[in-house]
Amino acid sequence: MSVWPAVFLTLQLAAVTTVILLIIALPFAWWLATTRARSRPLFEAITALPLVLPPTVLGFYLLILMAPSAPLGGLWVRLTGDTLAFSFPGLVLASVIYSFPFAVQPLQTAFASVPRPVLDAARTLGASPRDAFFSVSMPLARRGLITAAVLSFAHTVGEFGVILMVGGNIPGKTRVISIEVFSAVETLDYRTAHILSFWLLALSLIVLVLVYAFNRRGGAGLG
Amino acid sequence: MAETLEFRIRLRRGALFSLDVAEGVPLSGITALIGPSGGGKTTLLRALAGLERADEATVRFREQTWDAPGIRLAPEDRHVGFVFQNPALFPHLSVAENLRYGARRREVKSYDAIVDALDLGALMTRGVADLSGGEARRVALGRALASNPSVLFLDEPLNGLDTARKAELLPYIGRAVGEAKVPALYVTHSATEVATLADRVLGIAGGRLTGWRSPPARLRAVVTSVTGGLMRVRILGADPGQGADMTLPLVARMGETVGLGLPLDSVLVSTSDPGRSDASLCLPATVMGTSGGLELDVFGQRVTLARGGPHAVGARLWLSVLRVLPRPD
Repeated sequence: MSVWPAVFLTLQLAAVTTVILLIIALPFAWWLATTRARSRPLFEAITALPLVLPPTVLGFYLLILMAPSAPLGGLWVRLTGDTLAFSFPGLVLASVIYSFPFAVQPLQTAFASVPRPVLDAARTLGASPRDAFFSVSMPLARRGLITAAVLSFAHTVGEFGVILMVGGNIPGKTRVISIEVFSAVETLDYRTAHILSFWLLALSLIVLVLVYAFNRRGGAGLG
Repeated sequence: MAETLEFRIRLRRGALFSLDVAEGVPLSGITALIGPSGGGKTTLLRALAGLERADEATVRFREQTWDAPGIRLAPEDRHVGFVFQNPALFPHLSVAENLRYGARRREVKSYDAIVDALDLGALMTRGVADLSGGEARRVALGRALASNPSVLFLDEPLNGLDTARKAELLPYIGRAVGEAKVPALYVTHSATEVATLADRVLGIAGGRLTGWRSPPARLRAVVTSVTGGLMRVRILGADPGQGADMTLPLVARMGETVGLGLPLDSVLVSTSDPGRSDASLCLPATVMGTSGGLELDVFGQRVTLARGGPHAVGARLWLSVLRVLPRPD
């Protein structure tokens, strides 16, 4: 049996998820890093929830939310004629929520470490807050941005429980690599399981080594 | 109309610190704002620049209202050149790009004169991380001036540098501020720093202004003691008459007694009164002995210079001290 549909689906899901995550996480992480609002710990806790919740719990709630009888699931059915659960958009939504902390936290740390006087200097030199964000905060936080993108992508590739709950195991539609491995093992197709597992392991290692090497070099450069 | 920066600012930070100040500062030359650490100097400067939120602020710069009830001009619209305590340069930009940052946003065409006055030409292509402490301060000052500010705020711009480095940078500041023809507000806790620069000095302590102090100038003072390389003088004022005529490297009040370092190796001895000279001060002395160096009586104090010379006991001499040092504190 061909493993390629699963591989393509996984890469497509990870890419779409990463793009959406960065668009949402950038302003949110910046707000978390700079706000003095007393509600901040609450938002930080909500962000970190996917780290501690079992994927099945998260998946269960998402499934309930996506059911055609639920407001969100119902709206989706009216708009697209398709159910959100067991579909690609459903997988994207689940992945965005599941990988949210992996995008927000590196960005928040990066924005928080931009020195306040440097931003003040930008303002006194004629930069509006928006100008200062793009000309100072973003360049100084670019390592956080790259870390956030890579971790979001890698974490989405490595997702299993939430996808199984929300997407099930539909070949070519919701069957990603991690679920393909699960199916292969269940049907005693160890060869497929070996090939997929090995490549996933190797690629994950390479990606992580690159992230750490990049961050290390960056840290020395700022010195 | 009035060439002044007028402000009335009230703010509170926690239970311990409050700032409550009102003053009009003339917008010419360099005005020093001097006081102990934690006295509110930096907070006042930041509030004036719009970087610190005050509970109550009325700030007028020339005819322009910066702060008033219901009005709060954004920092970028005040045209303040701010030099921060730590240089706060943009670490991701080169020296040239740091200078250009403000210049581009203020549509300043050329700032070569500032680059020259601060000797920045050789640094332009360097990264900010490779600069020495002194170089970084010069770049920070250059960056502020290159944006063609209406007023320059300097917040302890020499903080964290050693004495030699400070002495090296001070003339740069004077030259660059003069070149840019921009009034400056210079915050420091060190009287020595402003002595050579300031046109006027405003004191601040405990969040309250403590009034204008006499700028360093040629003053009359009485030497009250000389021990080795240390001298104490009492400030009399500017009137001729009593005491010796001297230029002191610090800001002092009338009647105040201050300690000064007297470098005995930079003293010129003359046998007649040199009159008015470039020396910091000229002290009359009487030769008391010549056996172990030149033993002198200076205002009743015994001072020994490590040198000989054909001087008779009882002879009248004049000691020209080229430069007195601030008391090593």
